[in-house]
Amino acid sequence: MLATYLGPLKWQVMALAALLLSGTALNLSLPQLLRQFVDNARLGGAADPGLLTRLAGLYIALAVGVQVMTAGATYVGARVGWTATNRLRADLMDHLLSLDMREHKERTPGEMIERIDGDVTALSNFFSQFAVRVFGAALLLTGALIMFFREDWRVGLGVTAFTLVTLVTINRVRKLGVEPTRLERESSARLFGFIEERLTGLEDIRSLGAGGHHLNRFLGVQREYFTRSVNSWRGRSVVWQLSMLLFAVGYVAVLSAAVGLYAAGSITLGTAFLMYQYMTLVEEPIDQLTQQLQDLQKAGASIGRVSELLALRTTVTGGSAPLSAGPLALDFRDVSFTYAPGDPQARGVLSGVTFHLNAGQTLGLLGRTGSGKTTLTRLISRLYDATAGEITLGGVNITHVPLKELRRRVAVVTQDVQLFQASVRDNLSFFDPTVTDAQVEAALHEVGLGAWLSRLERGVHTPLPTGSLSAGQAQLLAFARVMLRDPSVIILDEPSSRLDPATEALLTAAMTRLLAGRTAIIIAHRLDTVARADRILVLGGGEVLEDGPRADLARDPHSHYAALLRAGTLDGTAAQGVLA
Amino acid sequence: MTTSPPPPTAPVKERTFALSRELFRYKPGLFAFNLLMWGLVHASPALLTLAVSGVFRHLEEADALKTGGQVLNPAIAAAWVSLAWFTFVRLSRFGIFYGAFRAWIELWYTLDALVRRNLLGYLLTARRSRRLPDTPAEAVSRFRDDVDDVAGYTEVWVDGAGFVAYSVIAVTLMARVDPLITGLVCAPLLLMIAFVQRLSPTIRTYRRRMREATARVTDFIGETFGAVSAVKLAAQEDRMVTHLRSLGETRRHAALRDVLLTELIRGVNTNMVNLAVGLVLLLGANKVRGRALNVDDFVLFIGLLPRLTASMGFFGDAIARHRRTGVSYDRMTRLLQDAPDTSIVAHHDVYLSADPPAPTPAPPHIPLQELRVQNLSATHPGGLGVHDISFTVARGEFIVITGRIGSGKSTLLRALLGLIPTQSGQTYWNGQPIDDPATFLVPPRSAYAAQIPNLFSDTLQENITSGGPATHLSRAVKLAVLEPDLDTLGSGLSTPVGARGVKLSGGQIQRAAVARMLARDADLLVFDDVSSALDARTEAQLWQGLAGTDATCLVVSHRRAALARADRILLLQNGTLTDHGTLPELLGRNEEMRALWHDDAAGGEEEGRPPSQLR
Repeated sequence: MLATYLGPLKWQVMALAALLLSGTALNLSLPQLLRQFVDNARLGGAADPGLLTRLAGLYIALAVGVQVMTAGATYVGARVGWTATNRLRADLMDHLLSLDMREHKERTPGEMIERIDGDVTALSNFFSQFAVRVFGAALLLTGALIMFFREDWRVGLGVTAFTLVTLVTINRVRKLGVEPTRLERESSARLFGFIEERLTGLEDIRSLGAGGHHLNRFLGVQREYFTRSVNSWRGRSVVWQLSMLLFAVGYVAVLSAAVGLYAAGSITLGTAFLMYQYMTLVEEPIDQLTQQLQDLQKAGASIGRVSELLALRTTVTGGSAPLSAGPLALDFRDVSFTYAPGDPQARGVLSGVTFHLNAGQTLGLLGRTGSGKTTLTRLISRLYDATAGEITLGGVNITHVPLKELRRRVAVVTQDVQLFQASVRDNLSFFDPTVTDAQVEAALHEVGLGAWLSRLERGVHTPLPTGSLSAGQAQLLAFARVMLRDPSVIILDEPSSRLDPATEALLTAAMTRLLAGRTAIIIAHRLDTVARADRILVLGGGEVLEDGPRADLARDPHSHYAALLRAGTLDGTAAQGVLA
Repeated sequence: MTTSPPPPTAPVKERTFALSRELFRYKPGLFAFNLLMWGLVHASPALLTLAVSGVFRHLEEADALKTGGQVLNPAIAAAWVSLAWFTFVRLSRFGIFYGAFRAWIELWYTLDALVRRNLLGYLLTARRSRRLPDTPAEAVSRFRDDVDDVAGYTEVWVDGAGFVAYSVIAVTLMARVDPLITGLVCAPLLLMIAFVQRLSPTIRTYRRRMREATARVTDFIGETFGAVSAVKLAAQEDRMVTHLRSLGETRRHAALRDVLLTELIRGVNTNMVNLAVGLVLLLGANKVRGRALNVDDFVLFIGLLPRLTASMGFFGDAIARHRRTGVSYDRMTRLLQDAPDTSIVAHHDVYLSADPPAPTPAPPHIPLQELRVQNLSATHPGGLGVHDISFTVARGEFIVITGRIGSGKSTLLRALLGLIPTQSGQTYWNGQPIDDPATFLVPPRSAYAAQIPNLFSDTLQENITSGGPATHLSRAVKLAVLEPDLDTLGSGLSTPVGARGVKLSGGQIQRAAVARMLARDADLLVFDDVSSALDARTEAQLWQGLAGTDATCLVVSHRRAALARADRILLLQNGTLTDHGTLPELLGRNEEMRALWHDDAAGGEEEGRPPSQLR
């Protein structure tokens, strides 16, 4: 993953490495200056005041240099981190959007936010600084150890052993933090998913007086989050606490060695001072390494979750067979479908559905709520794949068609219209900058939203006013979305369900124009909506009850459709028997 | 809007202190313990440096003795004593840190939980209409980032006490060695605080921009996945990803500015320490030659200075964090709108170790005799809405509100129920004015089913009962014509409905919402156009079923099934109530009514359906 996302940024990464390395080198030279100063100063009256002043000045200059390098490294690091993680976010979103609907049903939008943004943000530092900082710290550590060896090989050996023990121990215990951290992030996604859902349904909750109940449920979810967060912090903190303890031992050992060796007459006072100074030089890189290990833990948990998502594969994949231009004939051959293929007890939603629809014809799809009408249309645009059987468009099996092409050619207007907090034009074009404002305006005029548009302050660039848009207006906007595209197949799922009859009349003309020369399926509860359909298909309990040319069915006194017409209503008493 | 946004001119500084003080008081014992422990953690390095300096002082004494040819033993023994003292302090610091860390994590997450509970609690249960100023996804970032900021601000005070203690000890120790050097070294450190203070407004702006850019990103992700089926059906996945990229780019720029400024401040901080060490070297150079400054003094200065500068940096940063916390409080206030300031930090039990008690019981039942609405007006910012509406509903009546799209039907219901702010008007329950419809018109008095209802990821049963008793469950399921669906769902009422109910069909969600409303057994039932997801027959079944109860119904519909059953019809046109009466009356005299009635002919419903159709 590192290579994929840092590869394109190699120059920035190299600049980052250069900054960090020169910073480290300067950092190592600072104590050298300090030692030189002390050595000189201890000469007493023989010391050269000019040299001392120059050393002090050089010290200040180098120290400022270190700081500039560090600041530069942090900035470049942040740049690399943001660029790489932004790319990862986009890729994740791309991947998640390509998953089939079965996956999406399992996750709340709030959880998606946490996974695409939260987890990736936790990776940011890992991407930008981990490798270089660890490298820099190792370099500093090695340098400091060499200093010890130069002073006294026994002390050098001791400190090296100490360093190795510390690093190995810390690396072992850091694993303690990984699992609690994963659990914490999981419950954090749940907590914010819970909050997001409740905020979305705020009116539902308040009007039912159920605020107290949901608050209690929230407290339960939050309690789990609290427990897991505290546990995960405790798990992670073992690393710091251990390093604190080990360093306490280390400092005491080095100072003991200094005092002991001095008392034995093996070393001078200056050397004792230097040993203490070098110990602080060992502490810093180990601290740094420890800190990076912390980030590695967090990143490890996040990488796990991100890879988990990236490993999800959609079962709905496209082929490479192109669809021919123009209107397309539609065929269902013995199509069955269930939402729970693994559960033998669940009743299938569709079973053995077979029918043929000529190119350019309109099919009226009738049936009671829950008879499988909506599911049938979902199979055509491959939001789901049929469990058994075959669906073809223009003679091509739809599973052989590239998914993008299929969905571009099949337009669907669903019962509930999903809108974004964005401008009117972005809502209609799905943020497509190639669609012109004029096209958007034309589409709005066509569906009868011209008057509405003229009331908007900034025309199509006005942000969609939340709340003031009625469900019916939203439905009209969905129509305008389809108007903007040039699909070959149109599926209208109860298009008029939210329109009052008077407003619905507005749509009829536009609808006729839209359906002309296109293959269409209209699901409707009103008989007059399908009065112009070429064919009628009546669905009941997931099976085809009746299928034929509308005119023929209307003439046949024994047909279900004729019975419906006689009753004057789709739900009349006469239809009771056939549609129940 | 009756609720105007809070004046942003309020002295933020005052507010941040006052509000945070309330937070500290939430767990006074834990807070005090944190102060004590972290004070020790931060101050103990001064003692450590003193001890090390002691070791070197004794070694230096030994050095002097050695030069004089005397016995070293007493000085070496004194050095060992100093070393023992060092060991003791170092080990106790480890123990103190262990306790301090645990105490801090507990305090931090408890305050986090409290603020989050207060925000959600207010939105869920407070009086008057509650509308989110932004999308739910954006509001979630208030619950995540801003809550973290506010709770994390406690750290400033907990650590601050320790850093003050350290600074006082360090300056005293240094001044004992050489007051002049100490003074010269400390002066630039103080400058730093002034420097950070000056930059504060800029920090605030950058941070706010960064937060806004982040919110736009998270918001967009939330919306995209909320509308995932629409995006997939439109085959516009690429466009959405491209848009995310451009939002990410904006955010990256904002974040980098923030980083750059923070680094600038940190750079100045660190350079101050180096400047200070350099000063010690420069000034000390002369003294060293005169033997006025020894190795142990160097150890003391060089040992104490970095942490002293870090303290100064901390104080500067604390000011910046204080400002950022102010921004977070501002944004929370915007979310809660009319809430008093203190509600964010109000003391409530957050039940982190025990189950919360049952929520407050429903308000007392006041049997409905008559609901009267007088001169109700509610307009959206866009100018649409309802104006000056008056009508009365008597017990047991079935009232239908009808009209075209955009005529204000839904707005009227929601204004009546207090779900949106009203500009004028008053509602009376049995002649008594309703002070706050939002909290008064709830079960057992009234219940409401929205046009586009929201379910929650949970089982169907939990969604329907929403914490209420299950006594009316089976009746509600039957009345809402949800019973036939139960067979098709895998596990009946225990079926999980998925995020926002996605595992159910549109009609099933609507019927579940109706069942949820009926399960509360309220006097007044308010339906907002349930017909959008119910076929006419199911809708008729619902009205038929309700006719068998003594419920009073206020229904938005344009279906004949509802219109024909209505005791009275209220006809809305462009936000005003233009006519009302029985169906025959209106059909006789009102052109608009005739148009609405005529257009619904094909999908219409005959009255007087045989009872055999009821299940």
